[in-house]
Amino acid sequence: MIEIVAVSTGLSEDSTTTRLAQRMLSSAEGAFAARGAEVTTTHINVRTLAKALVDLTVSGFPARELDEAFAAVKRASAVITVAPVYKAAPAGIHTLFWQLIDDASLAGTPVLLGGTGGTPRHSLAAESTLRPMIAYLKGFALPTSVFAATDDWGGGEQAGLDRRITQATDELAELALALNPASVGTREDTAAEADPGTQPTGTPAVGASVAGAQSTDSHPTDASTTESDDYARDIPYAGPADESGKSAITPRGLGDRARDERARDEFDPASVTPFSLLLGQ
Amino acid sequence: MEFGIFTIGDVTTDPTNGTTPTEGERIKATVTIAKHAEEAGLDVFATGQHHNPPFTAPANPPVLLANIAAQTERIQLSTATTLITTTDPVRIAEDYSYLQHLAGGRVDLTMGRGNTGPVYPWFGKDIRQGIPLAVENYNLLYRLWREKNLDWDGNFRTPLNSFTVTPWPLDEVPPFVWHGSIRSPEIAEQAAYYGDGFFHNNIFWPTSHTARMVNLYRQRYEYYGHGRADQAFVGLGGQVFMDKDSQEAKRRFRPYFDNAPVYGHGPSMEDFTEQTPLTVGSPQEVIERYAGFREWAGDYQRQLFLMDHAGLPLKTVLEQIDILGEQVVPELRKEFAANRPADIPEAPTHEWLVARQRAGNAPVPGGAPGTRAHEDRLAAQEAERAKADSGSR
Repeated sequence: MIEIVAVSTGLSEDSTTTRLAQRMLSSAEGAFAARGAEVTTTHINVRTLAKALVDLTVSGFPARELDEAFAAVKRASAVITVAPVYKAAPAGIHTLFWQLIDDASLAGTPVLLGGTGGTPRHSLAAESTLRPMIAYLKGFALPTSVFAATDDWGGGEQAGLDRRITQATDELAELALALNPASVGTREDTAAEADPGTQPTGTPAVGASVAGAQSTDSHPTDASTTESDDYARDIPYAGPADESGKSAITPRGLGDRARDERARDEFDPASVTPFSLLLGQ
Repeated sequence: MEFGIFTIGDVTTDPTNGTTPTEGERIKATVTIAKHAEEAGLDVFATGQHHNPPFTAPANPPVLLANIAAQTERIQLSTATTLITTTDPVRIAEDYSYLQHLAGGRVDLTMGRGNTGPVYPWFGKDIRQGIPLAVENYNLLYRLWREKNLDWDGNFRTPLNSFTVTPWPLDEVPPFVWHGSIRSPEIAEQAAYYGDGFFHNNIFWPTSHTARMVNLYRQRYEYYGHGRADQAFVGLGGQVFMDKDSQEAKRRFRPYFDNAPVYGHGPSMEDFTEQTPLTVGSPQEVIERYAGFREWAGDYQRQLFLMDHAGLPLKTVLEQIDILGEQVVPELRKEFAANRPADIPEAPTHEWLVARQRAGNAPVPGGAPGTRAHEDRLAAQEAERAKADSGSR
């Protein structure tokens, strides 16, 4: 299952930013579906969070609806973000949203940038601010972005905007699927996804390897890390290899793993770092 | 179950008349408030530690607490919090030991890291090292209060050779320690490891979050074998403003809320009261809200209220403490006592700690032999040895 989350800042009642975000979102939905992925979409309008964003900024008070919006972004396999350009920069509450979300909220997530403005001369304004913010949050900002000026809504150029949206959302889907192979796995794969979580990190299972090569070494089965295990710590568990040497289970990609990490509950008594490790004993 | 008040001593202009107390007036008012809390029948007075305006909470809480100890008979004196990151553990050990003798044992303390970035470099520390400082410094404090002629070497202060805390703790039993943290699982784990108390100052936080931190501490307390999860020592913060009815309470408190340091000029009072423990209403509303804490926190030991802040005049603060003492706390005591299992301890007093230590039941950090934590540790050591053996062959 792939979740696409659009974060856009539509300020007026019939906002071109909201319209552009909706068109990008539905185009992305089609692009994923065409590639065989099951898709859900979530559309967040930052306008509805404006007060919560300011409250959090000035008083550290976390409003529930803002937490929910941040959680949606952290769950997403792909993100679309669209802002109107004001004075050669995205509207302030839009950048505030990305400034207040936790670090690494976009790790492993492809992000498609969009913007709206009065004239085509604003076209790089939004992304010159947003692109480094997305990079800071460890997201993959797509090279292609979509900008719509007044002219684009005027009819003749309509086809041009559609073409740009299609190209950008195709790229978004391709990159998201490459980063999240487990999210588009077969039903059997999904059922098997529980296994990797129970694998001690740092200890590849016997026979497991990304390339599917059989290993003849017997690995220690306890969870403690030794020097020789270190090199293996980031290799995703790919499940036991079959006769052809290929794993029956789709490896978890960078996006899958980053989302697993974000979903980890740091207040779960079962996964807390034992105090003796903090104490260095 | 203990009920009390805690303060940060903020010097704030009263938004209703524009008057601002001097630091001296605020400090004297704090002593008056503490004495009044005892007279009103409250159990605990706790002060913060501060090094920067607009706060007059002392840089070294024992200075204030010793003064209050001399003018009170019964109230327990505590901190909220003692900065374990930027205060030398040797001075904490000695100053609180001294206070313990002066106050006849009516002392405990709550460890906190402090969230004011600029304070750290004033004391030669780095806020990014907050957790490692809290871990090492508290470990040293723990040992200072229990080992004479201590030899010690660490990362954050000069080594100690054959050092003995002076004065030695009263009756050879150190004050009880709570560990305060809003959102660091490491600190809940630290409290559980030592068998100490855990204080969550939830006044700016939704109960859903506080409940998870408390649960983490309780589960780990049991894991370390200090008792069952429901027997662990939990303290919570709170914030109330009362009048005879809800409408009048809201009318009177709103200007203070809207202009308060920290949350003023931010969320509305209605949003804030809905999502945090702040309750502005009748005494009955306060009783109902706080009696409900038990549902998500379990039976707990200490409830502290923030009463003197945001520019509220001293007269109003004393009146609020009276309402708390006369109308709210007696009812809450009844509510919390009902169906409370007999084997759930109260907040530790000095006498209780002395009895526990003499009976040989003081908690063993990290878990005594026979506990799950101890066995896990032995198993890990065994595995470590086996690995070393196979490596050397």
